[in-house]
Amino acid sequence: MAAAIETKQLTKSYKSKNGLVSVVNNLDLTVEQGEIFGFLGPNGAGKTTTIKMLLGIIYPTSGEGYVLGKEIGDMEVHRLISYLPERPYYYEHMTGPELLKFYGSLFGITDQAKFEMLLEKVNLHRDKAKTISQYSKGMQQRIGLAQSLLNDPKLLFLDEPTGGLDPIAHREIRDLILSFRDEGRTVFISSHELSEVELICDRVAIINKGIIERQGKLTDLLRGGRTEISVNGVSEEYLKGLNLADTNIRHLPDGLLMDMPEDNDVNQVLDALRGQKANVISVIPRKKRLEDLFVETVTNVGANR
Amino acid sequence: MRAVWAIASTTVGEAIRRKVLLIILLIGVIFMVVAPGLGVLSARQETTVLQGMMLGIIQLTSAVIAIVLTVYMIPNEIERRTIYTILSKPVQRWQFLVGKYLGAVLALGLMMSLMTAVLVFVYSLQQGFDPQTIGRLVQGPAMFFIQMSLLAAVAIFFSTFVSPLVNFFLAGGAYLVGTLFNPFFDTLAKSQSTPQVAKVAAQVVNVLLPNFANYNVQNPLINPGSTISNPSTYYLMTTAYGLVYIVALLVAGMIIFERREV
Repeated sequence: MAAAIETKQLTKSYKSKNGLVSVVNNLDLTVEQGEIFGFLGPNGAGKTTTIKMLLGIIYPTSGEGYVLGKEIGDMEVHRLISYLPERPYYYEHMTGPELLKFYGSLFGITDQAKFEMLLEKVNLHRDKAKTISQYSKGMQQRIGLAQSLLNDPKLLFLDEPTGGLDPIAHREIRDLILSFRDEGRTVFISSHELSEVELICDRVAIINKGIIERQGKLTDLLRGGRTEISVNGVSEEYLKGLNLADTNIRHLPDGLLMDMPEDNDVNQVLDALRGQKANVISVIPRKKRLEDLFVETVTNVGANR
Repeated sequence: MRAVWAIASTTVGEAIRRKVLLIILLIGVIFMVVAPGLGVLSARQETTVLQGMMLGIIQLTSAVIAIVLTVYMIPNEIERRTIYTILSKPVQRWQFLVGKYLGAVLALGLMMSLMTAVLVFVYSLQQGFDPQTIGRLVQGPAMFFIQMSLLAAVAIFFSTFVSPLVNFFLAGGAYLVGTLFNPFFDTLAKSQSTPQVAKVAAQVVNVLLPNFANYNVQNPLINPGSTISNPSTYYLMTTAYGLVYIVALLVAGMIIFERREV
């Protein structure tokens, strides 16, 4: 099975006063079918430019790109994909059903029952008479998702799908995206909402200044968390004697704090402490967050360039 | 064709709801309604003045609507990102451009039909209903419709590569020059006394600039006493000229738009 998205050395450059500026530089990216892939990066990193190239809206300066096994720009692929742009605008005079009818007609879809089903799926079936101008931001985003499902796409490109939405709308959109994966679709999300991405994505790539800095499974990328054990009734020498790798010991007002890698066997350490009749006050796992990884990646790159 | 039609009908829906266009249309209609009152002030024959004024109002109003409608058409779609959701579907860029153009022409047709209905109503009220006169009178808006379709094609062509403001002046300028000066260039190119270099230059300008003046023949104020020896051939030829020009402009626009990064 071909990858949902594959790029090889994909580059987009623009001419400027200072010569050729690469917005996307030698991008090597692989997105497997059926996964939710998070495409992360600060503003101006090249996320939207990459999506536009993959959709054939703008043309790469060099490199190759394949979507569902076909070269980018292939019109046949456009029958199998869909796109929800950042802060989309829809023709405001239309109602939800009219909008779906319009976008459906671009595929030759006229099935009224399908429009009804999609409105129900995005929970807009009770607002059929409202025009888009009367929709809230969340409703506009939901009708956007409905139009993106018209052709039963295998691959969805979602650009900031939860940007500017309230927490309830956030959750609704998140649940919808998760349902896409359950339906076997591939979802490519460009987003700043790192907590959201962490909850729903299988794999992510972090792009900065047009270059992919990190790419991989979230579980692999977020490895390296720490565990903190607060304890008293035991000496610092004893703790040092346990010879635990990469472990720091600090003094607290009421005892000692062991800060160690999450890979260490916590139970073994706890058994040893109990054997010494030590009093374990707390055990706090400090998981590495996507936000930490993102900031670390972007600031390190900024400092190194 | 399905996609073209869907885009065209949506464009009509948008256009007939644009307040600025409706205001221009309303102003045009108001002027047409009060035109008979202004006609009596003229020393010239009242009927001629009335016809000329009303046709002039239709032409001017339609031209303003055509330019305002079309100069923003493509840039707005890009700015609002609606173009992305459309082009990410199985829609070719040429289909998008042709759909937008046809939508603009249909919307213009609707608005001009309304003004023509007002023309017939007001004229009949003033001069009495004579089917023959009315038949001749509505040939004016019919010719203007081709003229405006050509103007819309000029503006759509420019909108594939210039900003709305620049387009406003370019399309408006092309219309003014094509209406006022094309007959002059035509005469210059045909005159025996014109030097060869000037003749060639006049011919080039004449060919490059769309001849909007072709479609003003019905206005008795612009062309007093003019008669067309063979009306059917004239209308057929000017219509064909307009269509060829429109197709050429759209094809050129498609080529530019195909390569444009949106």
